[in-house]
Amino acid sequence: MKTCIITGASQGIGRAAAVRLSQEPDIQNFVLLARSASGLEGTVSQMNREGKNIKALPTDLSDIDAIEPLVKSIYDEFGSIDLLLNVAGYAEPAALLDTTNENIRTTYFINVFAPIVITRECVKYMRNHPSKILNVASTAGVTPRPGWLAYASSKSAVVSMGETLTSELAEYGIKVYTISPGRCATELRRKLAPEEDPSTIMQPEHVADIIATLVSDAETCLDGQNLVVRQLPAPKR
Amino acid sequence: MKTGMIILAGGIGKRMNKPIPKQFLILAGKPIIVHVLEKVEQLTDVERVVITCPAEFVAETQKLLEHRNLAGRFSCIEGGETRQESVYKGMLELGACETIVIHEAVRPFVTLAEFRVLIDSDFENAIYGTRIPFTVLAGHEYVEDTLERSRLVNVQLPQKFNAEKLMQAHESARADGIEFTEDASMLFHYQEARIRILEGSERNIKITEPTDLIIGEAIYNEYVLGGAQD
Repeated sequence: MKTCIITGASQGIGRAAAVRLSQEPDIQNFVLLARSASGLEGTVSQMNREGKNIKALPTDLSDIDAIEPLVKSIYDEFGSIDLLLNVAGYAEPAALLDTTNENIRTTYFINVFAPIVITRECVKYMRNHPSKILNVASTAGVTPRPGWLAYASSKSAVVSMGETLTSELAEYGIKVYTISPGRCATELRRKLAPEEDPSTIMQPEHVADIIATLVSDAETCLDGQNLVVRQLPAPKR
Repeated sequence: MKTGMIILAGGIGKRMNKPIPKQFLILAGKPIIVHVLEKVEQLTDVERVVITCPAEFVAETQKLLEHRNLAGRFSCIEGGETRQESVYKGMLELGACETIVIHEAVRPFVTLAEFRVLIDSDFENAIYGTRIPFTVLAGHEYVEDTLERSRLVNVQLPQKFNAEKLMQAHESARADGIEFTEDASMLFHYQEARIRILEGSERNIKITEPTDLIIGEAIYNEYVLGGAQD
């Protein structure tokens, strides 16, 4: 039975992934991390709770010093950590000249520093047994996005992180996946493209289905790549 | 205690021309010594592991242990001025045990299976060795003698010894002021001990020269990661 940690589980792709993975019989324990307690409660209420241990922990991941004891407490409680989904993301779109230091700091703490630290801490307990890490980057990390500098560059870092971790952790039997969703109807997307009709683009549940496939035992060939996940617009007739 | 282990990490890296000892150089993304520690970690029947290293690297080695949740069963002490002295200090630190396994931090490609075969074998004393595929002659500036290759063995680590007998041999060597380059020679010299030679592996190289790091990366990719990644 597996233990799965999901960051950013209070909304969007993180919530959809938690709900989708709760249908998987081999994942018994879920640890959901996000700042919003009410958001986490909403996620738990949508999950399949039968036979599952679900722990919702309101957490500010930008406090990276708190991550080590947090992960240790998770391991102490559940006895293993098998899946880590780094989904939490932060975006505050702004032109370069309007990008504040605080914007850069918060973006990088949530999108880059926290995933690195939580990965480091989880790997301490994942070593020597097959396990998987999935990082959510973005198509913004691999294509130019004027006005999104902090966010886009932080997602480039996530793509790079996945490539390096794939090689570095291969010896331990840990598979690392990176997905880069395109336009997806999340709260974060609403900040990046407020004029967009969310019903016309990819839904978080679509991404969650991909995540479920990647973290399943059956998937053995797609690690180490930046997988673009997107839904092409419906043709206009 | 039944089995204790000493990991020798005392080199100062003169031949590498690097400012840090070779066991701390990075091979395949992590310090060479870590490749060894992560294998020894899985030998749960080895009750204590003592790492001997230069005084100025004890704290760094402790950090490597802590980062991998290894502190506790593993500990690190300052080694001696010579390899032999480091083994002796390691034995004193381990205290009473039946069997001592000795390995060195700069042989990162020892396999878990090689450790297991060594430890599980019925032989009281055992070492790994490989045949010598080249000609070896005695001499310095001029050839002084020929050596029969078929009678020689390339000695590798890890090695396993009866702890009490090894300690006696060390005490004798200390009293006589003789330095040995490794422990099988010493044990044989003083006790004519029966030491089994197990078939070693060509990939269990000792990282000594700068070229060995390049070879080591190739060995890692082929044997640890399983070959071509494309």
